[in-house]
Amino acid sequence: MMPTVAGAVPAKRNAWRPRVRRSVVTGVATIVALLVAWWLSTSVLGLVGPARFPSPEAFVAALQRIWTQGYAGGTLIEHVVQSVRLVFVGFLTAVAVGVPLGFLMGYDRRIEAFVNPVFLVLRPIPPLAWIPLAIVWFSLGDASKVFVIFVSAFVPSVINTYTGVRNVRKHLIEAALVHGASRGRVIREVYLPDASPMIFTGLRLSLQASWTTLVAAELVGAFLGLGRALQTAYRDVNTPMILVAMVAIAISGALTTILLARLEKRVIRWRAEA
Amino acid sequence: MSEIVIDKVSKIFGDGGAKPFVAIDGVDLRVEDREFISVVGPSGCGKTTLMRMVAGLETVSRGEIRVAGKPVTGPGPDRAVVFQQFALFPWKTVRENIVFGMRSRGASREERDEAVTYYLRLMKMEGTADKYPHQLSGGMQQRVAIARSYATDPGVLLMDEPFGALDAQTRTIMQEELVRVSKGNPRTVMFITHSVEEAVYLADRVVVMGRNPGHIREVIDVASTRQAERWSEEPIDDVMEKPSFTHLRGQVWRLLREQMGADV
Repeated sequence: MMPTVAGAVPAKRNAWRPRVRRSVVTGVATIVALLVAWWLSTSVLGLVGPARFPSPEAFVAALQRIWTQGYAGGTLIEHVVQSVRLVFVGFLTAVAVGVPLGFLMGYDRRIEAFVNPVFLVLRPIPPLAWIPLAIVWFSLGDASKVFVIFVSAFVPSVINTYTGVRNVRKHLIEAALVHGASRGRVIREVYLPDASPMIFTGLRLSLQASWTTLVAAELVGAFLGLGRALQTAYRDVNTPMILVAMVAIAISGALTTILLARLEKRVIRWRAEA
Repeated sequence: MSEIVIDKVSKIFGDGGAKPFVAIDGVDLRVEDREFISVVGPSGCGKTTLMRMVAGLETVSRGEIRVAGKPVTGPGPDRAVVFQQFALFPWKTVRENIVFGMRSRGASREERDEAVTYYLRLMKMEGTADKYPHQLSGGMQQRVAIARSYATDPGVLLMDEPFGALDAQTRTIMQEELVRVSKGNPRTVMFITHSVEEAVYLADRVVVMGRNPGHIREVIDVASTRQAERWSEEPIDDVMEKPSFTHLRGQVWRLLREQMGADV
């Protein structure tokens, strides 16, 4: 990490505001253009048939229906709440176990030697391949979803935390030791902060994996949730509803990711790039 | 009393293995309490390894190192190190970096605040207490690192080419500052450097090392000349033009040149 010259930071901060505003304007413009193109190609010009891709009007009608009357066993809010809840439970459990385990593996070679073989065997199994076993074990309820989310979110948390801890800068550890830091202080004040960017990378990947496996698990079998709504819409050949479910998944996933990014920015506020 | 005694110390990497490498062979050196020594030598002479052994960051293969009478068994706050790459904690502010070592010995809040004020004034860095290291220039960062080590209040200060990563002007300023700071806060200092000028300007004695394997070639006394001519009261440029300085510098230079000649 190269030290930056004094004064570079305020300058950067000043440049920050207009740039964000400009990117927001560009982003909004792009979305508006896409929506207009969508409306023109479906409703106005009929370039794409309604069975293949719904018009905006059909989309809004489907949205209204799932919002007020409900669809596939629940209203949109109920589906979203169910899915977000499962993602949170599975993700948090995976992180709560995965980060400490990865930390220990990176910190102590004996633990690494002990755990690594298990990892080598389990890691190549795609998380989705766990779904059948999860259903056999836990049936179609919440537990099976939480289990597969746990399995998929666990691995990136462990691996990235492990890598982060292994790459903690040696001269910083030495600097702490020669200034009398105890083992606990070295862990809290050197290992944790220096590994935290990598730990957060792991959390981000874990969160993405959580959403992917949740939707897949709900597609295979569920009573409620966005994947269930998607599956039902597919069976009914209801393309507007398929689109509604997909958009809902995208927004829910994006919101949880933003939440995590906020947390990361708060924790790693000392970074030159932040 | 924090004297350093290096007693027939050898460092052998891969000792007992198929290809052991002798980095340092039978070094004897005594650094008196509050004496400032600098160590010069061609690269590969083991000067940094020697310092790291005193710091406890490297084990001793043969012999023993004692600081204040106690054998060195590992790193400790009685032997603070200033590293070439500063090694400030990037997630800590200047204030938090300076008090890092003080917290190890349980200094009170008032004591810590006082030290931060004192060292920032001493280093001419008032108003930077809440900045992060990446917001400072290299010279400023190294000042903070030096303040961190001094504030830890060690008997021994070990400096591993602390100005090696700085540009020439900053380096000169830092050399003068170090003389000023160490005059007001005398410690036993072991200063590793590549620069012959720096070694002669700063130290009471200059230890010249040789390589293959690393050993002490000669120890040259500077303190008597410095005191007689009152170097520390004059700007560095004037000191470096004095005949006594150029004479000592030449003496160290010739020893280093012989080293390199012996290599070819």
